[in-house]
Amino acid sequence: MDIGRIDSSAVQGRSWLHGAAPAAKLTAFALLLAAVVVSSNVIVVAGIILALAGLVLACRLPARLAFGLAAYPGLFAALYAFGLGAGPLVGALVVGKAVAAALCGVVLVLSTPYPQIFAPIQRFLPAVIGDVLLITYRSLFLLLERFGHVLTAARLRAGVVGHNPVRSAKLVTRSLGGVLLYSIDLSQRTYDVMHLRGYDGRLAVSPAPAKHRWQSASAVAGALVVAVPAIGWRVGAAALAPYAWLPAAAGLLAFVAGTAIGITRSKGMQ
Amino acid sequence: MSHLHVPDGVLPWWLVIAGWLVTAAIVGVCIRVVSADDMRRRIPLIGAVAALMLVGMSSEIVPIAYHINLTVVGGILIGPVLAWPAALVVVTILALLGHGGVTVIGLNTLVIGAEMALGAWLFRALRRALGPRRSGWSAALATVATLALTTSMLVGIVALGGAPAASRESGAFDPATLRFENPFGKWVLGSETLNAGEPTPPAEDPAMSLTRFALMVYTLGSIGWVIEAAVTGGIISFIAGVRPSLVEAGGLAEDGHRSVGDEGSHV
Repeated sequence: MDIGRIDSSAVQGRSWLHGAAPAAKLTAFALLLAAVVVSSNVIVVAGIILALAGLVLACRLPARLAFGLAAYPGLFAALYAFGLGAGPLVGALVVGKAVAAALCGVVLVLSTPYPQIFAPIQRFLPAVIGDVLLITYRSLFLLLERFGHVLTAARLRAGVVGHNPVRSAKLVTRSLGGVLLYSIDLSQRTYDVMHLRGYDGRLAVSPAPAKHRWQSASAVAGALVVAVPAIGWRVGAAALAPYAWLPAAAGLLAFVAGTAIGITRSKGMQ
Repeated sequence: MSHLHVPDGVLPWWLVIAGWLVTAAIVGVCIRVVSADDMRRRIPLIGAVAALMLVGMSSEIVPIAYHINLTVVGGILIGPVLAWPAALVVVTILALLGHGGVTVIGLNTLVIGAEMALGAWLFRALRRALGPRRSGWSAALATVATLALTTSMLVGIVALGGAPAASRESGAFDPATLRFENPFGKWVLGSETLNAGEPTPPAEDPAMSLTRFALMVYTLGSIGWVIEAAVTGGIISFIAGVRPSLVEAGGLAEDGHRSVGDEGSHV
């Protein structure tokens, strides 16, 4: 999980999706997730995955990272489907749903800084949970960096070596223990700083406005274009099943268009 | 393996909603139990422990699809009450990264929260029985017992959900009815039915499916329990050596609570 690259993509990206308001992107995310959740047709789910993959390429999000993160839950879903003795089509649907839902989340986090994702959600959550979400995110960077430094130091002193796995495991465990102690001290320092700055039980994050209204509107409209047919295919599953290739073909078109846009944009930037 | 890796849209709605409601109730009670002032003071600690768990969960052991959770370590450090808000935050962030479904955040929180809370309780009980010098062993044993219990909880949740989606779904799920037709006129693409004329294979007995699922989860999971127990035991043994108060009273220890060897610590 390369949190640094995720954050870099979310903060430094310049696509229209990055410019859309976080609330609009969360709405689009909810619509797409609903489309995935209700879909019972593996071909429709494949269409959603293709459309989202096209979006990743068109917005020039880090494709390898996005597809890698989205494929990760597919592995667990495959184990789940296999364990439950699902047939090939049901198994493909379970894996497809996992990958599609993950891709929705990944597109959101790669195009929106974390604090901006939490800002609209904070209104509906208890203050404690909202604040912990923000502090966890901040601490995560510091701990990953610290853990990396500790492991590098251990390697330089030949502490983590391939030919002695027991010794290496002991050292990695102690490194984690060291990082844990650091995290406890970090939490104390964080509280001291928050207290000094007048923390009164609610960390407020101002939601970022959209750069242009059309960006937010097009994000929601795009999600509706995917969600409405997907929900339609669920409602009229029996009658529409023979025509499931239509959303898949539309997804394929979106993927090809996204690839073309991505290539054009990268050539334009060179 | 105890972490529920069921994707969105596979479990029935009533189970998903029940998961959210129970989680909201437990987290709500946990937030109210701790005084507002104390909770404010502990927010950075909960955040740091949640981040530590995320660091552990971000590294996967691919062949057995397992990743270190550090849930029991987290539970020991912040205690069984604060464990629930931390679990909710961890599961929410993981879900946004595609690791575990968004709609099953409630059910996932129940599993992870139970893991943290049970781990903390069991560790304290074992530590009292075995003595403080065996903190590492107490943590390792507590981890194995906790993971066995929460893995059973996962199997129970899947059992409550019934057979996999196949029995509830329709349309393209059934290979016998999967076909491709052209809505604009059959002369363009024609109509084709896959497996036409072939008898539909009989559906597998749901009890058999569940047994196979449980067998797989317990087999793979038990390898993970041993790895997790070794890591947890090692970390807690290290912490007990350098800062014992952290493992004695957890995150809700009073500021004045210090053990020998702990004088220089901040917490």
